[in-house]
Amino acid sequence: MAAQVAQQLLNLATLGAIYALIAVGFSLLFGVLNIIHFSHADVALTAPFLALAIVPALAGALGGAPFQAGFALAALLAIVATGFLGGILYAGIIRRFRNAPAMMALVATVALGIVLRELIRHLFPNGSNPHAIPRLVTGSVDLFGTAVPLFNLVAIAVSVLCVGGLFLVLGRTRLGLHIRAVSQDRDAARLMAISPERIFRLTFFIASAIGAVGGLFFAGYAGIVRFDFSVDVGLIGFSAAVAGGLGSMPGAIIGSLLIAGIDTLVQATVPNGASYRLVFVFLLVIAVLVFRPSGLLGRTVVEKV
Amino acid sequence: MSASNPASNLTPADVAAPVVAAPRAIALVAAIELAGALFLRQFLLAEDWRVVVAMLALFGAALVAMQRRPALEARIEAAFADQARLAALLGLAIVLAFPFVLEKSTYALHLLVLAQLYAVLALALNFQLGSANIPNFATGASYGIGAYASALLAVNWDVSFWLALPAAAVVATVFGFLLGVPSMRTRDSYLALVTIAFGVVIHQLLNNLEFTGGPNGLVGIPAPELFGHSFASPLVILGYDLPAQANFYYLSALLVGIAILFARRVHDSRVGLAWNALRADELAARCQGINATWYKVLAFAVDAFLAGFAGTIYAFYVGFISPDNFTFLVSVTIMTMVIAGGMDNTLGVIVGAFLLTLLPEKLRAFSDYRILFFGVTVIAFLMIRPQGLFPQRLRRYGA
Repeated sequence: MAAQVAQQLLNLATLGAIYALIAVGFSLLFGVLNIIHFSHADVALTAPFLALAIVPALAGALGGAPFQAGFALAALLAIVATGFLGGILYAGIIRRFRNAPAMMALVATVALGIVLRELIRHLFPNGSNPHAIPRLVTGSVDLFGTAVPLFNLVAIAVSVLCVGGLFLVLGRTRLGLHIRAVSQDRDAARLMAISPERIFRLTFFIASAIGAVGGLFFAGYAGIVRFDFSVDVGLIGFSAAVAGGLGSMPGAIIGSLLIAGIDTLVQATVPNGASYRLVFVFLLVIAVLVFRPSGLLGRTVVEKV
Repeated sequence: MSASNPASNLTPADVAAPVVAAPRAIALVAAIELAGALFLRQFLLAEDWRVVVAMLALFGAALVAMQRRPALEARIEAAFADQARLAALLGLAIVLAFPFVLEKSTYALHLLVLAQLYAVLALALNFQLGSANIPNFATGASYGIGAYASALLAVNWDVSFWLALPAAAVVATVFGFLLGVPSMRTRDSYLALVTIAFGVVIHQLLNNLEFTGGPNGLVGIPAPELFGHSFASPLVILGYDLPAQANFYYLSALLVGIAILFARRVHDSRVGLAWNALRADELAARCQGINATWYKVLAFAVDAFLAGFAGTIYAFYVGFISPDNFTFLVSVTIMTMVIAGGMDNTLGVIVGAFLLTLLPEKLRAFSDYRILFFGVTVIAFLMIRPQGLFPQRLRRYGA
């Protein structure tokens, strides 16, 4: 029993860590640009495909290097490439909607997500089929009497590092200061010689790169990736960010853990839980928003005249 | 309330745009309506993808011309306002006669039925999104609830279509209230998420529950009958044989007509005014004594009610429904129809619904790539004409 509980807690932490990598991107982008980038998860999940595409090219260049090393390098390159993809999408398309009504930006980015998914389906060889993603780290360690896969530990550690790094950047660096300034008041920031456009592009780069890490771990955790996985990931990441309170990074993390928690709980306890997990996840989201209309840690906006 | 608005003190003549002489106005109205009908017919019957693309380009050019020359637009508008009765009668005649000019093409009629059902859904959402600016990503779910409610009634208890129709609308409305009441505490993106979550929950439940048939859905929904005439059999009018789809064409056209009439009456009523006030400034509306929560919930209920009707007709038309007909993407498509067509503009919303229903079908020449093209088209529309094909009009007072 105890071993089972420990196992479920580990699943919760791993899933929560992976979701958090996606959710902080939603929250960060909303906080800075005030738009919902609904194709964020679609951008994030191009990373595993990019990595798969880069591996064969690298294998030739590296010669006899072991496969693991090759894939690790490919993953790193994919993360950077995804970051650039995010920046390019911002500059090319999303920029046009940054002053539009919120719903228009939402619908436009949903359409953008469709385009990204379809592009993967058509451009990637056998794009409609699931593709196996190797786990970078295999094996397990013995912790408190249960065998813990190393992969889960690495996923949690990397997630903590990434999100912690994001907190450091936002809180302690000049770039973070600029990002916070732009998110508070674009025009005032411009008067302080900060280019909002540059900050928007950089924010997109950062959010997409962190999302790419999440996308790679999600694919590795599932063992496979398919072009339409990003629909569910996007809905869950967006829900985590909103339930936690849009614009609040700690909120996004709490929201991710909450959603991962109900997800694992339902799968472990409810009969036939795997098919009902989304029902419970989204009922929880509705419940959270009914009692905390601006999310758990969101600022309650009180309109004054 | 209207007395406080200076515009209401003006006479219609003060507000009216350029005066068009009656015969010219009549000719203009007739020419535009007939040209529109001819365009739709050719578009529906076009087989070659090059023709389809050329016609789309023509449509785009007409829009650009309208945008470049506002005077032209104002003139057309004045003509229609002047000859409103003629325009309505001619439009009705065109709708009634349209199946006869389609060369008995069942495919074209099928597309028209779908487009009209989507037009109803888009008009339903327009009450919320267009009039009151309340996002709702659950119209697809209400559509599904209506379809499943009526189909279950018909399959399990042999309830006739004509009884299932109002029953399903009531069921959908109840769900609309259930969604609307709690979600009124939230706003904007948070409200959007509540509706998205509701849509996902409904879709997942339909997909997993036993009595809804799971992923396989419900099959064998009987065709409706009216005075002994089965809707599955060809329609014979004045000795002319129309394919069976024509039955549903007239039924859905009737529903669109009711929805338009309903939209117009609501727009001119206190309710429509309250919705517009909420859209303009919720706080100011509250200060004027408008019960914001009640009117927002009402918008949800109206949306669900009309969507339930559309769902019932869809279920009985196709005879087979599965959860995949009512996904989140369906709701997004309906949202896009309203936004791309023009918020709070009945004509724009209908054109948006027709365009976005017919476009993916007509792009079948690109087979696998059509979803991609659909996404690209939507983005292009939103980028090129962000205010929609037919932008929101200012409220007219007087007249």
